[in-house]
Amino acid sequence: MPSFLLSVPLLVVGALLAVGLRSNRASAVVALATQAGACLLVLLSVGPPLFGGGAIELLWPWPPPITTIPFRVDALGAFFLSWSLPMTLLGTLYAVGYLRPSFASGRQGGTHFALLNLVALSFVLIYSVQNALVFLLGWEVAAVAAWLLVIWEYRSQKIRFAGFNYLVSTHVGLFVLVAAFMLLHSKTASMDFASFGSFLQRPSPARGTIFLLLGVAFALKSAFFPFHTWLPRAHAAAPAHVSALMSGVIHKAGLFGFLRFTLLMGRPEEWMGWTVLIFGLLSAFFGVLYTSTQRDLKRLLGYSSTENVGIAALGFGLGYLGWSWGVPALGLLGFAGGLWHVLNHAIFKCLLFYAAGAVYRAAHSVDLERLGGLAKRLPRTAALFLIGTLAGSALPPFNTLLSEFIIYMGLLSGQGPSPEANVVLVVAAAGLAFVGAVSALSGARAFGISFLGQPRDDRVPVGAEPPGSMLVPMLCHAGLALACGLAPQLGLNMVRSSLGLFPFFTPLELERVLAPLAGLVYASRLLALFLLVAGLVRWRQGLAARRGPTWGCGYQAGSPRMQYTGSSFSEHFSRIFDSCMPALRRERIASEIFPQQPGQLATHHADAVEQRIFEVLARGEDAVTEVSERIPGQPRFAFAAGLCALLIIGAIAWESFR
Amino acid sequence: MTVSWFENWLSLLFMPLLLTGLVNRVKSLWSGRRGPPLLQPAYDVLKLLRKSPVYSATTTPLFRIAPWVFLATACASALVVPLCGLRPIASFPFDFVWFAYVWALGRVAIVLAALDTGSAFEGMGAARESTFSTVLEPVLFLVAAALCSRAGTHTLHVALRFEADGAVLLRVCAVLALLIVLQVEASRMPVDDPSTHLELTMVHEVMVLDHSGADLAAIQLGAAIKLFVGTSMIAALLNPWAAAGGALGLAANLALSALVAVLLGTIESLVARLKLRSVPNYIGIALGLGAMALLLGAWGAVSAP
Repeated sequence: MPSFLLSVPLLVVGALLAVGLRSNRASAVVALATQAGACLLVLLSVGPPLFGGGAIELLWPWPPPITTIPFRVDALGAFFLSWSLPMTLLGTLYAVGYLRPSFASGRQGGTHFALLNLVALSFVLIYSVQNALVFLLGWEVAAVAAWLLVIWEYRSQKIRFAGFNYLVSTHVGLFVLVAAFMLLHSKTASMDFASFGSFLQRPSPARGTIFLLLGVAFALKSAFFPFHTWLPRAHAAAPAHVSALMSGVIHKAGLFGFLRFTLLMGRPEEWMGWTVLIFGLLSAFFGVLYTSTQRDLKRLLGYSSTENVGIAALGFGLGYLGWSWGVPALGLLGFAGGLWHVLNHAIFKCLLFYAAGAVYRAAHSVDLERLGGLAKRLPRTAALFLIGTLAGSALPPFNTLLSEFIIYMGLLSGQGPSPEANVVLVVAAAGLAFVGAVSALSGARAFGISFLGQPRDDRVPVGAEPPGSMLVPMLCHAGLALACGLAPQLGLNMVRSSLGLFPFFTPLELERVLAPLAGLVYASRLLALFLLVAGLVRWRQGLAARRGPTWGCGYQAGSPRMQYTGSSFSEHFSRIFDSCMPALRRERIASEIFPQQPGQLATHHADAVEQRIFEVLARGEDAVTEVSERIPGQPRFAFAAGLCALLIIGAIAWESFR
Repeated sequence: MTVSWFENWLSLLFMPLLLTGLVNRVKSLWSGRRGPPLLQPAYDVLKLLRKSPVYSATTTPLFRIAPWVFLATACASALVVPLCGLRPIASFPFDFVWFAYVWALGRVAIVLAALDTGSAFEGMGAARESTFSTVLEPVLFLVAAALCSRAGTHTLHVALRFEADGAVLLRVCAVLALLIVLQVEASRMPVDDPSTHLELTMVHEVMVLDHSGADLAAIQLGAAIKLFVGTSMIAALLNPWAAAGGALGLAANLALSALVAVLLGTIESLVARLKLRSVPNYIGIALGLGAMALLLGAWGAVSAP
């Protein structure tokens, strides 16, 4: 048995011990130790496939109906494994500090740590197994573990609802996935990915259907628009490290599944590429629009996940197109940019959620309208959040710029087969530029409103900086964001072998298409150096400078309540797009010259898709009730319903006996 | 190559503040005054550099660093633009993406510094600047991609090069779109009024109310450099002598830059500022022009042999 599979029993033992041990400290130590051991085992064994060696293969006999479980860690699986497990370990470390107040009040944390172990376990299964049933098992373990992790504060009804919402959505995705697998099973009489692959590579009418079913299932997992409705709720409800792991790591399994089946499917058709590209662009567009108006910091970050998976899918769509057109350069740029963006997003999004968690720990609120001036009280958290914000807005000199740059290179290269195709690609690039500008707006708003200025609400008590166990994971992620931005080889080397799995890959071609990156990196480094020097100099010089009040433009009685708020910051922008972002507005404007009653204004931006789903569901429920109430009263209805039921049963019986 | 370096650096050193002075002079002439000397902005910057700054007690170190980030990004964007028409200081494929993103970094720095003061006025300016930039950024990409597809290149300076190939309409669209981009980025009428005295109506100026001393000098210099970068992009597009290089191309390019500055000053003197709510629509015109340029570029690529 290769060593990476040894991590499975290790993680299970860790989980059992964590549940069994009485003290929270012991549970935490056991979970951390077993996860560290699992990380070590996995990293040691995925090294060869990740850096150009062959795939690890293994057949494990198992009683029927499975007979054998094939495991195979190729470069793609190795890429996802190589950062998923270490990041989960960092998240577990963060949990130790984040949950300390709950532990101090007597809460048992054993199950929580056990669940974190199970999440790590699900990665080992999902990213290595080649059998659909075991894949579904890993999928389900991850989903249920994530659900239980989300409802840590289960006493709050709101949080239970958010968790339930997530559970339902993820299972709708599971049903679609099961449907796709059943369809494949009916065609191949096998549950192995290898036989799926040999079926999918042949042109057949079912190929497109299966592609769409798989696409929907994986899109639900990764929270693409319009399947994202569960995401902002779940992220707002979960503890910070769970949000971070869900957004950065767990839901990347959807993108992994998509790529896995892309590789199995072989050369795609052109319409598939356009579908993925446009789907990704829509996701990025709507995700980023919603980030601009949120007042809950963690909801905002949740929507930003939808945006970033959209950007990755934009890259994948470009790769699909390049593959189907037979233009290797586009294929390489698209898949390289998309894959790298997945990693970059995991790096900065975990950092942002961790920093938001530190804010929550200190201020017990992540409501932008109530925060303000946190940078003075939490300078370290502020610096780390700023790094995450800049990285998230794809600004130089951080990592995300590089992956987006690669996608831009593909979109703007003008290598499509027709001018029309090229025009659409350029428009997609302009869309990506819009997404970048809006994410800069949202990032500046999130950081500026919560950390800068003065505290907006005296009733928000601000505690201390987070403890070391929370700072270390943040520092690791921030360091990675900067290092990957300045030394692209770190990221590129991890992606390179995965690209080697595509049939159109040649090392020379990859070198050629990525050559422009060198100029960008050189420029980024220079800029970083200059910023460092200027920053240090100005920081030192400013220490001794004179201080005064902020210029009030002649008005003497300003108060912190009069600062620009999150809503006022995005008001102008959201009006441009009010058709996509319905604003709920409650106002009572003071009427007379000397108003007797104070005026009031409350604005709230709801999720348009979710609103619509709830409307339809409510109406559907009414329709069902109406029909079901009429059945007992009217014999005609009862007769018709009985006939329908009989027909269905008869048809099923006929099918199974035939 | 060294010559190209030298002249670019030299023009980067002298032209920006001169152009700002020129715009101011044009405005005063239109309003019937003689106006300040051409080098007044340079004197102002030199004076400010010697002054010691005062910081608001609300601010954090970010406020002190932001102006220099802004200046650095302005310089970084100037590196890839052919300031003298032919060659830039540095270039690499897809450098216009870098161009757009360093401008974004500078903008974010100034916006954050404005929010750092906790002043409602500055927050107002920050929100406006961010909002306008979201519509503006796609324009840059559309125009750059259109020019690139016509010239069959991926670098900015080759795409900006004047070619007598008859793609007049494309060039007109690109120039007009870039002019609107410049008006927004350099905070000029009809988007923003740089010389108003009412904070409520400002965009860029209101964000820098609290900066003083050398920090303010950095911001003014950065803004002037952005103006020069914008004018020299338009100048390169219009300059038929640039491809020849040499003194003629250089002189023509700088003269065209000055001409664009005169044009900006003239528009500013004759046109009233738009309502802030309609500014995105005004940038929408640039978006439309960019899209048109893109289609023309695509068609041109087909019809070319």
